[in-house]
Parts: sequence; C-alpha cells; structure tokens
Amino acid sequence: MENSRGAPAIEAHELSRTFKGGIEAVRAVDLNIGQGEIFGFLGPNGAGKSTTVRMLCTLLPPSSGSASVAGHDVVRDGDAVRRDIGVALQEIGLDPVQTGRELLELQCGLYGISGSAGRERTEELLELVGLTDAADRRTKTYSGGMKRRLDLASALVHRPRVLFLDEPTTGLDPASRLTVWEEVRRINADGTTIFLTTQYLEEADELCERLAIIDHGGLVAEGTPEDLKAEIGSDVVTVQLRGADPERTREVIGELPGLDRVIPEENELALFVEDGASSIAEIVRRLDAAGVAVGAISVSRPSLDDVFLEATGRRLEGAEGENADVAAEEDEAAARAVAP
Amino acid sequence: MTEVLLLGRRAVREVVRYPEATIPTLFIPLFFLAVNIGQVSPTFPDTTPFLKGQGYAAFQLPVSLMFAVATATTGLALVTEIDSGYFDKLLVAPIRRTSLILGRLGADLVRGVAASTVVVLAGLAFGVHIESGVLGAIVLILLAALFGVAYAGFGILVALTTRNVQATNTSFLLFFPLLFLTPNFVPFDRLSPAMETLARINPVSYVIVGLRSLIIDGWVVDKILVCIGVILAMGLVLIGLSLRAIKGYDG
Repeated sequence: MENSRGAPAIEAHELSRTFKGGIEAVRAVDLNIGQGEIFGFLGPNGAGKSTTVRMLCTLLPPSSGSASVAGHDVVRDGDAVRRDIGVALQEIGLDPVQTGRELLELQCGLYGISGSAGRERTEELLELVGLTDAADRRTKTYSGGMKRRLDLASALVHRPRVLFLDEPTTGLDPASRLTVWEEVRRINADGTTIFLTTQYLEEADELCERLAIIDHGGLVAEGTPEDLKAEIGSDVVTVQLRGADPERTREVIGELPGLDRVIPEENELALFVEDGASSIAEIVRRLDAAGVAVGAISVSRPSLDDVFLEATGRRLEGAEGENADVAAEEDEAAARAVAP
Repeated sequence: MTEVLLLGRRAVREVVRYPEATIPTLFIPLFFLAVNIGQVSPTFPDTTPFLKGQGYAAFQLPVSLMFAVATATTGLALVTEIDSGYFDKLLVAPIRRTSLILGRLGADLVRGVAASTVVVLAGLAFGVHIESGVLGAIVLILLAALFGVAYAGFGILVALTTRNVQATNTSFLLFFPLLFLTPNFVPFDRLSPAMETLARINPVSYVIVGLRSLIIDGWVVDKILVCIGVILAMGLVLIGLSLRAIKGYDG
C-alpha cells in the first residue's frame, strides 16, 4: 500500500529471508512507509518482525527482494543506510562495563560527534530520557526500564532520519511503557520516521498511523488502525464455551440474521455480526432452547485483536500479560540489585 | 582511525574494570614458573651448558610469558558482546567493521605489555638476569605482547564463527599442545627425535627460542628475526582470518 507522504522513507519489494534448513523467516514483504510516519509492524513472537528489521538495518542480507531506507539500498549502500538510521533492537544492546554517560559518549564518537559536541549531545540525551542522575553508574546496575531508555537514547545520538524500534516496550512495566510511548511521539514530532515492531495491540493502536500485520513471515493485513477495523465492519459477539462443544454450539446458533462469519477459537467462538446487541438475545434464546450451556456472551466493536483474528484465524492477545509479569519481575530484580 | 581508538579505549576500560578476567591469566604463568623452577632446578643447575651460567628460571621465563599473553580473553569478551546484543549495536554504527576487531587488539597489546611486565619482574625476583639488558627486556616484553595480539586473532575467529561462549572458552585448550610441543623444558637437541621433529615444525618453538635468546644469549639477531617473522606470520593469518570473518558476519 502506498503511503500518503510522497517519497518513501522505507520501501521494500518482495523482501525475503530464508535461513539454513529452508526456514522462511520472511516471505515477499512489500512496504512503503512515508517520511515522518510512525509505522507499526504487528505480529506474534517468531512472525518475522525482527528478521525484517535486521534486513532493513543492514545487519542481515535479504535472500531475495530489495529494500531501501532513507533513499539508500540496504545491500548496495549499507554505509549510507547506517548513517541515516537509529536502531534499538529487541535485545537491549548495552555494554555492562560502561556507565550510561560513557556509553553515549562512545556512541557519539562512532557517529563522528566528538569532543565538546559529543559531551553536550550526551547531556542532552541523558536529560531527554531522564537518566542524568544515573549517568555515572554502570549500565549493569540499571533496571529494565532504564536500560531500554538508555538504548533508545543511544539510537538517537546522530538525530537519525529513520528510527527502528524493535519491540521497544517488551519486558517493561506499564509505567515505563508509557514513558517510551511519550518518547516515541516526541521523536516523531521532530520529523523522524519510526518503524516500530510490537506484539502489543494497544501500542500499535495508540502510536501508529499505519500498520502491517505479519504472520508466519508474510504480511496478512495493512492499513490505518481505523481502516483495518472498519474493514471488518461488524460487531463481534464472543461466546465463551466453558466446555460446550464448539461444533454443536455453532450448529445451534446457526444462521443468525446479519451474521457475517464465525471464527472458532480455543475456548470461544467469535461471531462477526451486523448488530451485536440484537444478536445476543437471539443467540441466548437458541442456546437455551437447545439446552447448550455456555459461559459469558459479550459484544464489542472490532478491535485490532479482531483484525488480527480475521487475518490469521487466531488472537494475538495472551503473550502480553505473561510478558508484563516477566517485565515486572525483571524490574524488581534490577531495583534490588541497585538498592543500597 | 578515531573509531579504532575509541573502541580500543573502551576495551582497555573493560580490562581495568574486570580484573577478575585478567588476574587468573597471570596467576597460571606465575604458578608454572614457580613450580617448574622448584621441581626442575636441581636437575639443571646453573652449570648446565645451555643455561650459560643462569638458573633454570631464565630458561622457563619465555614459557611463562607465552602463557601470560596467549589467552582467550578477547574472544570471550567478543562472544559475550555478541550474546548481549551490544555487538549488533556497534555493527549498525557507520564505522568499518574491522575497527571492532582492531580496537580490541589494541587493548590486547596494552594488556599483553602489562602482563609481560609482571612476569618479567617475577623472573627478576627469581634471580633471572636479562643478558640483552634493559633494552632487551623492553623488546622481550613487546614481542611477548605482540605474540598475544597475534594469538588473540584465533579466539576472535572462534568467537565470530561459533558465536558460542563455551566453544570460545575451550578453544584456549588448543594452545597447550602448541606450547608444550616446543623446546619448553630443554633445548631442541635434548628432545627425543620424535619430539624434536614436532617441535621443529611448531612455529611457537621459534617464538620461545627468540625470547629466550634475549634472556640467556644477549642479542642474537637471527633468532630474534625468526621470532618476529613467526609472530608477524601468525598475526597475518589469524588476524587476517578474523577480519575476513567480521566483514562477512550476518547479524
């Protein structure tokens, strides 16, 4: 899909990567991302998000297809790409031996910002990400949220035209996540194009002007969050099965008026209907009449999760809560490590 | 060049801030020096012809120097960096990839000079007299440190190709046959024929012989030149291969 902002900041044509053993991590991905956009790349773990980012950042050569970033081909002109991009990868790349200040000053030096200019830029970034007080501590004593913010700052030293953020909030507690969102908006307000991968629907909905959903290495949907939700066009009635037989339940509900489609999930049925409110009454009546006992029945407007369900046949939710718990534990452990 | 200096400074900082990574590499050579002298000195008193009036410590000092400088420390630091993701961060910076290796080798030189100095000072404490004088002692330290830099290329190569901490760590074990299939305890002509053949085809032998000549013989130009040649050749091959590996490294 073409962007609406003219010359693309990121463009990919049938970008693919196959690993040893024939594993197709990314299959024929097409992208067209405009300058100044925040573009979301949404998908579950292992969908191909990070591999795509690694190809666009010149870390990994594509097996086939082509891509350009900031107008430079990622294969033929990798040096020029690297000069124009900032990258914060999923694995927080920090050197535990250095202090936050040393790490940023080194990063400045590697981008040719040396001497007092480097020191000034370092101070500015420490201030920006709220790490001035911790600047002279070694990064190994930082909490998960602090590490993520420092990593983000290190990607910004040279004011990149395009910023790649690979799951920037994975492993963060909700408060740190909000801080990162604010930073992303602020960076974007300065004109930086942002390519953000995430497995959090809320994050994609909140931050991204447009997004693409990737699953099993291929794009399955692309558009603005509003357009994608509007394409579904229906209310979503969710019937929790609570042990009821899915086939029997589906059969009993039968052909409802305005029913578009039914997608069975592990413990529930998702029914895409024209009018959710009136459908619920009819569903309850039919299930009662047939003696089929189910759990809660709810109606909602389509969400990105429903878009994901529609595109892939399963929901993306589930990993989020789990990750947040791990994040909270990691942050607590880090806090204990630095406690006096 | 600036990027090499910046990365070298960072690697030196790593050495200074992680003494626990360096101290064991110094303990082993000093331990070997003390044990070997204690056990073998009575067999080879200072009247032994190949010692030229010195104690056995003089003969053993080069072996300890080799132990002190030939470590897997750099390879391990690199593979740890790969594991942590920081290496990727450096790879996406607009710098020559080779500077990531050259910066680390610069730190190896600094570490090698420091470690060699400690071992030479320990040798002096054991009564070793360096026949080539103060200048010879400086050359001895520098050559040992340069051997360490050349050998570091091997650890880096293993780190880049396996990306595995365990493999990089155990790669150091390969140095033992290289060090012990040499005239490390006695000169070439006192080895058994089979051992002598193996020692003569082992390039590390000529590094030991060259370093030893500075301690026992004084300035024997041909031995020193061969020693320099072997160090250069090892450096060209091992560092050359690791530079090639990083150029083709897929992140």
